[in-house]
Amino acid sequence: MKHIPTLVKRELSAYFFGPMAFLILLAFQAIAWMNFYDLLDRLVRNPSTLSGVLDPLNFYISRSITFWIALMVAIPALTMRLLAEEKRSGTIETLLTVPVTETEVVVSKWIAGVAMYFALLLPFAVYLPFLYYQGNYHYDVGPLYSLTIGMTTLGMMFVAIGLFFSALTKNQIVAAIWTFATMFLLIFLAEAGYNFAVAKGSAWADVMQFLSIFYQVYTFGLGQLDLRFLAVHLSICAFMLFLTIKLVQWRRAG
Amino acid sequence: MIEVEQLSKRFGDVRAVRNLSFSVGRGEIVGFLGPNGAGKTTTMRMLTTYLTPTSGRASISGHDVLDDPLAVRKKVGYLPENVPLYPEMRVREYLSYRAKLKDVPRSKRRSAIDYVLTRCGLIDFDRRILGQLSKGYRQRVGLAESLVHDPDLLILDEPTAGLDPIQVREVRSLIRELGERHTILLSTHIMSEVEAVCGRVILIAAGRIVIDDRLDRIQTESAIVIQVRGPEPAVRRAIESARGVRRVTLMSEEGGVAAFEVHTDGERDIREDLAARIIQNGWALRQIDVRRSSLEERFVRAVSEASVVPDNAEIEAA
Repeated sequence: MKHIPTLVKRELSAYFFGPMAFLILLAFQAIAWMNFYDLLDRLVRNPSTLSGVLDPLNFYISRSITFWIALMVAIPALTMRLLAEEKRSGTIETLLTVPVTETEVVVSKWIAGVAMYFALLLPFAVYLPFLYYQGNYHYDVGPLYSLTIGMTTLGMMFVAIGLFFSALTKNQIVAAIWTFATMFLLIFLAEAGYNFAVAKGSAWADVMQFLSIFYQVYTFGLGQLDLRFLAVHLSICAFMLFLTIKLVQWRRAG
Repeated sequence: MIEVEQLSKRFGDVRAVRNLSFSVGRGEIVGFLGPNGAGKTTTMRMLTTYLTPTSGRASISGHDVLDDPLAVRKKVGYLPENVPLYPEMRVREYLSYRAKLKDVPRSKRRSAIDYVLTRCGLIDFDRRILGQLSKGYRQRVGLAESLVHDPDLLILDEPTAGLDPIQVREVRSLIRELGERHTILLSTHIMSEVEAVCGRVILIAAGRIVIDDRLDRIQTESAIVIQVRGPEPAVRRAIESARGVRRVTLMSEEGGVAAFEVHTDGERDIREDLAARIIQNGWALRQIDVRRSSLEERFVRAVSEASVVPDNAEIEAA
């Protein structure tokens, strides 16, 4: 495990050698700014008529469609390169013929991806103190913690999924499309399935609600930290990392 | 240094390497020769633990490639074919990154990098971006990288591919110098490269070893070309009965003149003996000559024999 700092450093620096990371960071900065502007606008007009607004976090993140769409583009874009590019360019051969284990390689790439994910979310956190101190809008700070923890485990899971698809192929675009499709399934289709099940009065509604990322983040934003959600995120994350390590090891068998 | 026993690799239905056995001692420079697709790269990838063998064993400095891949990787410096590099890194930055991964201790890292930069003629290029280097310099960076942890064994896959003639000479002389301190296994399909650098040749074709011998032995192997006016079967019997003759092949027969190629065990010159036998039988001797076979001829002959015979055998077996 001693090579992880070296490997993570290289992954992070590789992100910033291309325009991709800058563009994604810029896009998230813009979205955070727009959402914040929108939030302020509504607060100034009439806070009491909009029940959700009292809870800025939910307005800001979990009920913002722009945020989710941007995340569904950003995570595949950040993870697609991680292993697929090494395979395409052949550098994987140099990486797996030095005294470094497959686990170290995969975990380092995952850590770098998660670090980038945090960098994306940072702009959203930056605006909130202004609202609290400058704007004298004393919202409840408690949900900040639950939302931070929930978004962290969620991001860890998404990055692990992206890394797994990146290990499956040499083609970055293919990896990105698979990751996008999986995220779309978890974020939007689960929500649509829930609505459908409710309309039908089906008992599956509870299951669909539990699976829906929308619902999960909504409850985090309300200040409820449901440990079952965290357990789901972390176990999917660990399983995906395990599969990715196995994929890299199986490649040696040819 | 390298011990390989019955090593095989199969990709689906393709048997890339079949039952390879050889060993390389410390300090040898071995040329791993073969046509394209013979299994050179696959074998090297198994030795560097990048691929696992389907069957058989291979070990480097006593460490098995399957049981203890990390120990093997510490002992080996590997230059892969086409030298894959991270295009965005700078030369020194890349070498420093690789030295860290190869566990070069922090205190020695700087001097190790300076040493390989000097050794590979890169000292003035250490700030260059890898993606902007020419093929020759990429090759040098790859070589410097494979040396940076001072490995016992260097495995170089086509180290001079794509270089211009001057660079080829430079890389070859560098390899010769390195051979004084390291054991080297290098693959190539260029004969003159082997003749210029290696002490020993392992020739593989269609995944099998067809020649494994010292270069000077291969180069001194000779054949006698003999032309006689006389009845072909009788002449052949007379030549075959001479001492030291291993194999006689008829090259041509025209107008009562038969030409043979005679392979001997090479211990002594039997030309006079052969001439005397021809004369005794009353045949006319038209030509007798020694022909040294070049490595290239041996290569072509061995490869064409290997690629015809085993594939038929394979089909029959199936």
